[in-house]
Amino acid sequence: MRCATARKRLSDALDGALPPGPQGRLEAHLKRCCACRSYRDDVGRIQAETRLADGRPRGAWDDFEKRLEAKLASAAAGRVAVDPPFAVRRRWAWAAAAAMVLAGLTGWYLLQRPGTAMSGTWLADDDVLDPLMEAAEASPETASRVDREVRALIDDMTPAPDAEAAVLPAADPLFWESLSDEDLRAIVSELEDETGRGGPQ
Amino acid sequence: MDDHPEARLVDEARTGGREAFAELVRLHERRVFGVALRMAGNPADADDLAQEVFLTAWRSIGSFRSGSSFYTWLYRITVNTSLTFLKRRNREKNRAPFDENLAVGGPATGLPPGPEGRSALNELASRIGEAVASLPAPFRATFALVVDQGLSHADAARALGCSENTVSWRMHKARKLLQARLKPWLEEVRS
Repeated sequence: MRCATARKRLSDALDGALPPGPQGRLEAHLKRCCACRSYRDDVGRIQAETRLADGRPRGAWDDFEKRLEAKLASAAAGRVAVDPPFAVRRRWAWAAAAAMVLAGLTGWYLLQRPGTAMSGTWLADDDVLDPLMEAAEASPETASRVDREVRALIDDMTPAPDAEAAVLPAADPLFWESLSDEDLRAIVSELEDETGRGGPQ
Repeated sequence: MDDHPEARLVDEARTGGREAFAELVRLHERRVFGVALRMAGNPADADDLAQEVFLTAWRSIGSFRSGSSFYTWLYRITVNTSLTFLKRRNREKNRAPFDENLAVGGPATGLPPGPEGRSALNELASRIGEAVASLPAPFRATFALVVDQGLSHADAARALGCSENTVSWRMHKARKLLQARLKPWLEEVRS
């Protein structure tokens, strides 16, 4: 074993980090190497005499703990004082994000809602419509067919009427009962004016 | 009786238990102060460093992984805080670089009276402190953990964030530097 290796292992041995095998070879080297024995004595002496001069009285540690406690308390108080503004900011950010998502969903719903004028199918331009109208004018049969198609298209695009709204007031028997004789006479008079026919005398 | 009182204290401190943390401080304040003193070189700065170490530990104890060694974690904070502190003060730059051939005065010609052997030993002990203080910071940190605190190479490696081989090499180098620097006083003690 070389002296440089022996001194490296000597350092490990002083720290209790040298396995038994190398330890035996180190001891064998030290037996026959005077310089390394001297080095071992020196570093062993340094190890033994190394002392950290702490020497603080108990009072110093009490003071240390009190000061630390005060700092910990102020750190905790600081945390409380600092957190809310960030929390408020975070809440506003979430609210703004939620409002944007809600607006997007509402817009999407309005565009996609069935029966709205926006979602109907429209003829694209006059180049298609004009020849059709000309053909309809030329032939009554074609005109009739176009008319049916247009009406069917309008029917398809028109939202289904509300069932309640479809019931005319006149269909309700209570409607007539609630009318006075004067109201009835006025209605009859209007009908005679519109149709030219008189009502029952 | 709880087999792992420190682990229980750490768990309580992690959930905000200030009293448990105070108990941990009482358990470890001397060790933390010892490493800080070795690194800073004077008790006033070591005291400030130790306060900073425990404040950092309190703020980040939530990130401490239970099952790890608390004191190793604390030593790591201590070493990192000390190294940052030394950089900030730029003390290392102003400190004279270690030179093992540099004569540091040698034994005083007029030693104080008293038993010769004891005086020489006392002188050696004080010179050891100066010599260790003049080691480069990473060597001093390793020396403080292994020699002053008695950590194994494995624990010191965890605290320093390096390999065991690095710890072993640093210790060997530090001893070699100290032996060269203290040679005059060592010879006097031997004689």
